[in-house]
Amino acid sequence: MKILVVEDNARVARFVTQGLREAGHTVDHADNGRDGMFSAASEPYDVIVMDRMLPGNIDGLAIIEALRKAGNRTPILILSALDAVDERIRGLKSGGDDYLTKPFAFGELLARVDALGRRSSGGDTDRALQVGDLRMDLLSRRVTRGARLITLQPREFKLLEYLMRHANQVVTRTMLLEAVWDYNFDPQTNVVDVHISKLRQKIELDTERPLVRTVRNAGYMMCEHDQA
Amino acid sequence: MIRLNRSSAVTWAIGYVLLGLAALAAFAVPLWYAWNVTIFSGRQEILRDDAQHLTELFNRDGLAGLTAYINARVGMQIAGDRTLLLTDSAYRPLAGNLKAWPQDVPEKPGTQAVMADLAGQPTHTLLVRTTLPGGYHLLVGRDLALFLPLERRFTFGLIAAVTFLFLVGVAGAILIRRELLARVQGIRQTVSAIMQGDLRHRLPIRRTNDELDTLSQTINGMLDHIEHLISGISNVSNSIAHDLRTPLAELRSRLEELALTRPAPAETFAEVDAAVADVDRVIRIFNALLRLAEIDTGARRSGFVRVDAAAVTAEVVEFYEPAAEQKGVAFSFTSNGEAAVAGDPVLLAQAVSNLIDNSLKCVAENGAISVRVGRRADGSVEIAVADDGPGIADADKPKAAERFFRGDRSRGTPGVGLGLSIVDAVAKLHGGALQLLDNHPGLRAQMVLPVGAARTSR
Repeated sequence: MKILVVEDNARVARFVTQGLREAGHTVDHADNGRDGMFSAASEPYDVIVMDRMLPGNIDGLAIIEALRKAGNRTPILILSALDAVDERIRGLKSGGDDYLTKPFAFGELLARVDALGRRSSGGDTDRALQVGDLRMDLLSRRVTRGARLITLQPREFKLLEYLMRHANQVVTRTMLLEAVWDYNFDPQTNVVDVHISKLRQKIELDTERPLVRTVRNAGYMMCEHDQA
Repeated sequence: MIRLNRSSAVTWAIGYVLLGLAALAAFAVPLWYAWNVTIFSGRQEILRDDAQHLTELFNRDGLAGLTAYINARVGMQIAGDRTLLLTDSAYRPLAGNLKAWPQDVPEKPGTQAVMADLAGQPTHTLLVRTTLPGGYHLLVGRDLALFLPLERRFTFGLIAAVTFLFLVGVAGAILIRRELLARVQGIRQTVSAIMQGDLRHRLPIRRTNDELDTLSQTINGMLDHIEHLISGISNVSNSIAHDLRTPLAELRSRLEELALTRPAPAETFAEVDAAVADVDRVIRIFNALLRLAEIDTGARRSGFVRVDAAAVTAEVVEFYEPAAEQKGVAFSFTSNGEAAVAGDPVLLAQAVSNLIDNSLKCVAENGAISVRVGRRADGSVEIAVADDGPGIADADKPKAAERFFRGDRSRGTPGVGLGLSIVDAVAKLHGGALQLLDNHPGLRAQMVLPVGAARTSR
């Protein structure tokens, strides 16, 4: 993917751009709002990572609003040290697609950038999702593994749907908390892990080659075993 | 000192004295008018009637008859009641109780009030003079001095009333002003002391429940809140110093050791991972503190909506169910229907989550946690999380919700000591309270949330 990083702090910028490059993305970097705005408007990007506090007291949100007004639909991940819930809502209202609070783990950033990039290419209009022989019919809400019918609680269904929609991508625990439970606080116990292991018990056949894999220091990834 | 002319008490007192005077005038003036006009003209009427009567007597019975009548009346009547005098045309007295025709009586007929020389001394008299056929003069009069004491008493009464009113007004003004000034002065002294940094001072309360007292009580409530916030801040700074320094010190020594010893790569990476975990712990504490600060400002109240506390709790319970199951904990949830409150669904969910999280950490395997949402008799909603874990020692209960407080029984369990602080802050934001009770054994933590009173202050 082609990614634009607008971030004025040199250290954070280097950390982010290097990491994204290592993950196989093409990365451009702008260290101020004007350059960022110019790059975003002149070249097509798959994802833009936008810091909120830019030099010259420019709020990244203003740039996002300007881009959106100009018809730019590129998914934008907002980076911000402002953590309050209202700030988050403001960020998303201004046209941002996701909001990540500093400081963050790189795995979290990468997972979210991947999710955003995938969203811009794939549609939400699917009638069914399929990973390997695991199939989810979104209309009848039937889940099957091969010929076996799997019964899921509504929340488990939502969790599995999210994992399947983001198949072959890392999803973090925070992303799952936000998307499946709508909680943006941090439960101190590893509750998400327990939910995942419960889900695994229902959908996995073979513990040697699981569909849902744990990615160390990041989260989970659903993928077909052939690709493992 | 507040200057006299600015004192509101004096202004009010003067106003009331003037009002009293106006009321008195409204009462006295019509009375005075009635006295002077009605009674005076009535008296004239009587005198004229009398004169008329005597004239008729003269016309009927002649001079002798009138003289006899007058003499009879003078002999009969109480002295001073009526002045009667009949003279011939040369003003020589023929009958009556005057020795001579008074000098100052004007020539014209009719009633008149004059200072007539009656019985040797000038007297304020009301007179009617009539000239009878044959040149006789008749004088019928009444000594007005008789009414003088009454009039004087009335006037004196009026003056006394005015003076009394004025004195009472002035005295009242002085007393009220002194009283008010004393109390205002007390408030000023207290406030000055507080401004100098000693937040323990409180305004004097008299328990009279008057306006100033109510105001003082409200201000004291505000001071309690401010003191709580300030002490919260200083507690937090102390706790930050302690609880953040510890992981930071660990982190620093870890990194320094790494730089000095330069161990094998595998070991280095393990150390780096541990360092990241240290940082995450610090970030977690920061996030909790920021969330607390956000709640404490009360700004979230503007986003309050109608929330079903039972539904929110049910979702959190569902969220934790697998974790409880994994630990072998009996986890139950009961509610009797919808429990609507005005609130912030995210914060309520977080508070309930913290309570369940706490219980999950504390209970032993095969323990029990029960969550209950219900409505109390007074309509408030109660969210209770009870467990059979070690509980909190009674002595620690009041401190349990303080920031970074960790009781002896919770040492060794994971957590940063901010969970209950957040629950407490959320409960207070919703106008409610967090109560920590004994579950015999274990802890029963319950949030009590008033239904409509989400906007009341603490």
